[in-house]
Amino acid sequence: MALTTAPDPTRRGTGSVRPPAPRGGTGRIRHGEGLAGYVFLSPWLIGLMGITALPMLLSLYLSFTNYDILTPWSEVEWVGLANYERMFTRDPSWWHSVRVTLSFALIAVPLKLAAALGVALLLNRAWRGVGLFRGLFYLPSLLGGSVALAIVWVNMFNRDGAFNSFLALFGIEGKPWVNDPDWALETLMVLAIWQFGAPMVIFLAGLKQVPTELYEAASVDGAGKFRKFVNVTLPMLSPVIFFNLVLETINGFQGFTAAFVLSNGTGGPVDSTLMYTLNLYITGFTDLEMGYASAMAWVFLIAIALITVVFFSTGRFWVHYSDGEDH
Amino acid sequence: MHPATHPTSAPDGRTYRTLLPRRRLLRGLLAAVVALPLVGAAAACGDDGASDGKTKISIFWWGGDARAQLTAQALELYTSKNPDVTFETTWQANQGYFDKLATLTAGGSPPDIFQIDDNFLAEYAARNVTLDLKKYQDSGDLDTSKFPPSLLQYGVVDGKLAGLAAGENTQGLVYNKTLLTKNGLPEPTTGMSWEEHIAWAEEVSKKAGIPGTQDPSADYKAFWVWLRQQGKDLYSGSDLGFTVEDVTKWFELWKGARDRGATPTPDVIHEGNATDITKQLVVTGKSATSWVWVNQMPELKKNTTDELGVIAYPGDPSAQWARASMYWSVFRGSKNADIAVDVINFLANDPEAVKLLGTDRGLPSNMDLRRVVSDDTTDPAMKQSIEVENKLAETFGESPQVPIKGHSKVRAELTKAAENAQYGRATPAEAAAQFVEACKAAIAS
Repeated sequence: MALTTAPDPTRRGTGSVRPPAPRGGTGRIRHGEGLAGYVFLSPWLIGLMGITALPMLLSLYLSFTNYDILTPWSEVEWVGLANYERMFTRDPSWWHSVRVTLSFALIAVPLKLAAALGVALLLNRAWRGVGLFRGLFYLPSLLGGSVALAIVWVNMFNRDGAFNSFLALFGIEGKPWVNDPDWALETLMVLAIWQFGAPMVIFLAGLKQVPTELYEAASVDGAGKFRKFVNVTLPMLSPVIFFNLVLETINGFQGFTAAFVLSNGTGGPVDSTLMYTLNLYITGFTDLEMGYASAMAWVFLIAIALITVVFFSTGRFWVHYSDGEDH
Repeated sequence: MHPATHPTSAPDGRTYRTLLPRRRLLRGLLAAVVALPLVGAAAACGDDGASDGKTKISIFWWGGDARAQLTAQALELYTSKNPDVTFETTWQANQGYFDKLATLTAGGSPPDIFQIDDNFLAEYAARNVTLDLKKYQDSGDLDTSKFPPSLLQYGVVDGKLAGLAAGENTQGLVYNKTLLTKNGLPEPTTGMSWEEHIAWAEEVSKKAGIPGTQDPSADYKAFWVWLRQQGKDLYSGSDLGFTVEDVTKWFELWKGARDRGATPTPDVIHEGNATDITKQLVVTGKSATSWVWVNQMPELKKNTTDELGVIAYPGDPSAQWARASMYWSVFRGSKNADIAVDVINFLANDPEAVKLLGTDRGLPSNMDLRRVVSDDTTDPAMKQSIEVENKLAETFGESPQVPIKGHSKVRAELTKAAENAQYGRATPAEAAAQFVEACKAAIAS
């Protein structure tokens, strides 16, 4: 921490405003330190500007054009709001991808959080070997959005995959899950839910923060396990739940890799796995309609921002920060 | 949050000693930050290599290891004959190839020479990315005199020669010979009608216990051949060459086949609809046939121990044509366009180079050299595919126009509509109407 210069407000004066004497040094040094800060930040700053901010602005511009990747910039035509109009009024596959993505997020995210919280509650006890289990449950999410994992998943849920062999033990005849338009998206949801390790670890950390005296007080008042969970654990955990909810929702909307691998990049069978980002990718790179794809990306960005705003504005009704009580 | 302490400062508390090194450090850092891009720019300038009198031609293709080796050898041969020209080769798998090619083009630095197929040729030609090779053809720098005229014609987009056929192929129906012999079933033959083919497949399903034929209703190349047999085409000018009624008939033909048990179940058909060779049902043992290109035979053979046979698609074989399996195109903005054209001329017409390349990209386009290569081939699967294609060449019809802008979307929409009908989510008529509407939107934009 001693190396960072910015956070200390007393050192941010210009040359004329001198901080109290014991701080030492002159205005010029302070100025120099500020510069040093930016120099050390520069790899990140250059990255942010060059790799994130600038391309984002360019894509905003492109969303009002008919850019198709192959045509030189100089010949790109401004088409106004035509791309946005097309999206909302006459692109059935766009609406379809919105529906697919919404149903994916609405089902997979709550179930994933529930699984994470449930397992975190189990692992919050002092068992022997609990550390091992924590590690094991966390493992799937380390593999993240990896392609290899998606390939394994597809093979497990094939007609002659491991899952159907397992079902066969009980005399149940499985389905060709990944190749059935009624089940392909559900298979992806299960994959997402299975990777609940990351929110689980955060839940675990949150559970450790709940003061034990609250439970003791609740016990004294005669509360049972369920009452303690509802009236102590959940409220105390609500900031962590909120954090996980926002993060996982954004992640859920952005699902791409597994859908891409499962469908060979097509969104099939019969568009059942045509997630928004996959549709965007196909539009931009296969159909070469990069202007339109940019418009899709901006609508997506705004939609996610709006959802996040909704979360934050409803948060004050159910998220309890214990700061005030602590002091 | 203590202010930065200075461990190096003298005990008397003065801080100036650290001032100098820090400034120096800062200057050094700044210099580095400023200089790095310059170094990069200087390096980039050096890439041109024009200064030493040598030319570096960049060339990009998709394919596997075998193709990479053969192509590298052919290019080395060119360098040995033209010591001033060297190559910067890049190659990768087909998946993602066109993403990269588009990105390189957008970045203003596409390779001088790139491999392309009929899926994208019109897209690139319409946007003036490809060099018109007509000029070189006229001046004789690009020798196409030994090319079959229809094959050459299949590289012409809007009157411009946008790509030079790097090889020829045509549609081929590959079947599992071993399976048929084992069950005492007859082999299918070229010239069978579609009805006969489906009846044959039904027989196979019954006797061999393996679905007789992959349902190709989602396959644009099968649909295309069938359309040509009905006197229609996939495209006509900048419009579709077929109507909703045609598509309905096509989907109904295959609904009938599915109802008769001639094809696999929809999920298996879907597996086979992937373009990946290793997933073709004839090699995964899930169907007795697959609808592919004749020149894919050797690759298919590598994935199965069974004997395979190959014939034309059902119906009148004159609906098939000499298709360019892929092309070599030259970037219009290439600084070394003349040399690049000379290189693709070399790859097509130099006897040694063509011999090296063999039939990896399809049958050689130069007919004289094709004969030589055919005679030299020892790989039985390769020999078989060459024989079949040479036989089919006798009945080849005229080439259709190169697929228009929006073709890849049309292909994707056909798959979607056909699968909708296969999974029973739409009737053939509904799926056909939906397909044609989507196609019109795709080629209009």
